[in-house]
Amino acid sequence: MVSIRKPNPGPLRYSAATLARKGLSGDDWPRVWRDHDLKKTYDVIIIGGGVHGLATAYYLATNHGITNVAVLDKGYLGGGGSGRNTAIVRSNYLTPEGVAFYDRSLSLYNTMAADLNINVMFSERGHMTLAHTDSALRTMHWRAEVNKLQGIDSSVIDPQEVKKLAPSLDVTSHPRYPILGALHHPPGGIIRHDAVVWGYARGADHAGVHLHQKTEVLDILCEGGELAEGKGAGGKVTGVRTNRGDISAPIVVNCTAGWGSLISNMAGVKLPIVTHPLEAAVTEPVKVFLPAVVVSGSLHVYVSQTDRGELVFGASVDPLATYSMRGSLSFTEELAGHILELMPGISKMRLLRQWAGLCDMTPDYSPIMGFTPVEGHLTDVGWGTYGFKAGPVSGEQMAECIATQQTPKLIAPFKLSRFETGELVGEKGAAAVGH
Amino acid sequence: MLLVPCPHCGPRNQSDLRLLGEAVPRPNPNTATRKEWGDYLYLRENPADWVTETWYCRVGCRQYFTVERHQATNEFRNPPLPGDKVGNSTYTTITVGSSGSQRGANANSEEQPS
Ligand SMILES: Cc1cc2nc3c(=O)[nH]c(=O)nc-3n(C[C@H](O)[C@H](O)[C@H](O)COP(=O)(O)OP(=O)(O)OC[C@H]3O[C@@H](n4cnc5c(N)ncnc54)[C@H](O)[C@@H]3O)c2cc1C
Ligand SMILES: [Zn+2]
Repeated sequence: MVSIRKPNPGPLRYSAATLARKGLSGDDWPRVWRDHDLKKTYDVIIIGGGVHGLATAYYLATNHGITNVAVLDKGYLGGGGSGRNTAIVRSNYLTPEGVAFYDRSLSLYNTMAADLNINVMFSERGHMTLAHTDSALRTMHWRAEVNKLQGIDSSVIDPQEVKKLAPSLDVTSHPRYPILGALHHPPGGIIRHDAVVWGYARGADHAGVHLHQKTEVLDILCEGGELAEGKGAGGKVTGVRTNRGDISAPIVVNCTAGWGSLISNMAGVKLPIVTHPLEAAVTEPVKVFLPAVVVSGSLHVYVSQTDRGELVFGASVDPLATYSMRGSLSFTEELAGHILELMPGISKMRLLRQWAGLCDMTPDYSPIMGFTPVEGHLTDVGWGTYGFKAGPVSGEQMAECIATQQTPKLIAPFKLSRFETGELVGEKGAAAVGH
Repeated sequence: MLLVPCPHCGPRNQSDLRLLGEAVPRPNPNTATRKEWGDYLYLRENPADWVTETWYCRVGCRQYFTVERHQATNEFRNPPLPGDKVGNSTYTTITVGSSGSQRGANANSEEQPS
């Protein structure tokens, strides 16, 4: 496995000494990344400036020395799911393929603050998935065993232990859905998602990658394919058309998550993806009382408390397939009802904000990574409600895939062709609510 | 919450219905290749544009119907009326009686699309 080349990801090291020097001299901080003119040609074009696109660019440059790379985003960096998620990081998945993959990401998160020289506030506070029914408890045992086999710290705990880890939970038999136990995953936790995005952007910029914001891809240019304009299977990519002009490139990578179908359709590649909004909400800050991340599949809700004291809530995706990111009252109503079943004591807390992001849902709740039937068009999509935690490993593996033109072992199970051969990687049981 | 134009009940709250997704033509089970089945089961247009989709009127008339909706603005157009042959005739439009169970629906959908 290639390792990150360290250190020096930025021209200016962030440290207490730098802070003091800046403070005394009164010097301003330099821009974290630069703007560039659009070049006519790049070796690799990455569409989407979220954690996946930026990490891919970063590892292309630092692990493989490929620096003639552009990241294009129609909005601002981290304006998609990467800036809207609830930042849960964990590796207690259900399939051996999923567990190995997400665990690699967790280990990259563990050293990220030092590797990228940025405070990502990774808080390994433990992750608890509650079981309210016998069948849920059975799934937890199943997951725990799969996890343990692969060396992941994951086990089933009883309601008394749940109470010890999160005293605010009602573990009596009174609720409609009593807590029968939980899958406990101590290495799971939360992270400051914006800092992860900025860290990769800063590292990629410093390594020579061009980051182009407000640059929308309108079409992917192809030749030789079976469909109109040379798109589709058998053809190859020659570049992209943007609102700032055409760029040519032999490799165009789709890292646009919720917009992924639209982008791959531009190359004549149809994906097994449906876009659904996922909503989240945050309360006013209060003194920290909830030390762990708590997920309830049966109640379709999860909660964690930030270091600042806000409770961050999330749920499963909205049932409507849409590209609209409007919040809905029905989400808030249901969320409040469900969360109060778990924690009756917070009924008087006020919600501050509610928002939505787009999720690219796949049939098996696993991503779609690697080559497509169009030469030079690669995808890193299908991130659904769970893709933030996968940013580092995806970037690392996609960079290797692009540089070596071979599919790395870790992402081979996530190939697009699995939907033709029926080799699905079913993660719904581990990813539908607990993102 | 959207108001979904059910051809039988009129506009109803979205939560009264279930969206089953894009209406996709079903291949002929006797001749379909593995690829055709895979495409039918999994591949979707998922456009930020008009899409023809199937809804199930869960707590109302319990009928299935197709309607066009814009996936960026969420507007509906061409809502069908009772008795209309809904949707594009190449789609498998699933219609079941008032007993309308999921099983009934599946049985019906085995008819060949015209
Ligand atoms: C409310 C919510 C909570 C979540 N919680 C979690 C969680 O706790 N843990 C977890 O692991 N995951 C979570 N997720 C999922 C996670 O946020 C996403 O899977 C992940 O951020 C995807 O990252 P990305 O870089 O692939 O895409 P994004 O960050 O979505 O970036 C895609 C980018 O593509 C750009 N783009 C789109 N179209 C074009 C175009 N035509 N031209 C140029 N650019 C374009 C967009 O502007 C966008 O910036 C959550 C998601 C949501 C919405
Ligand atoms: Zn009806």
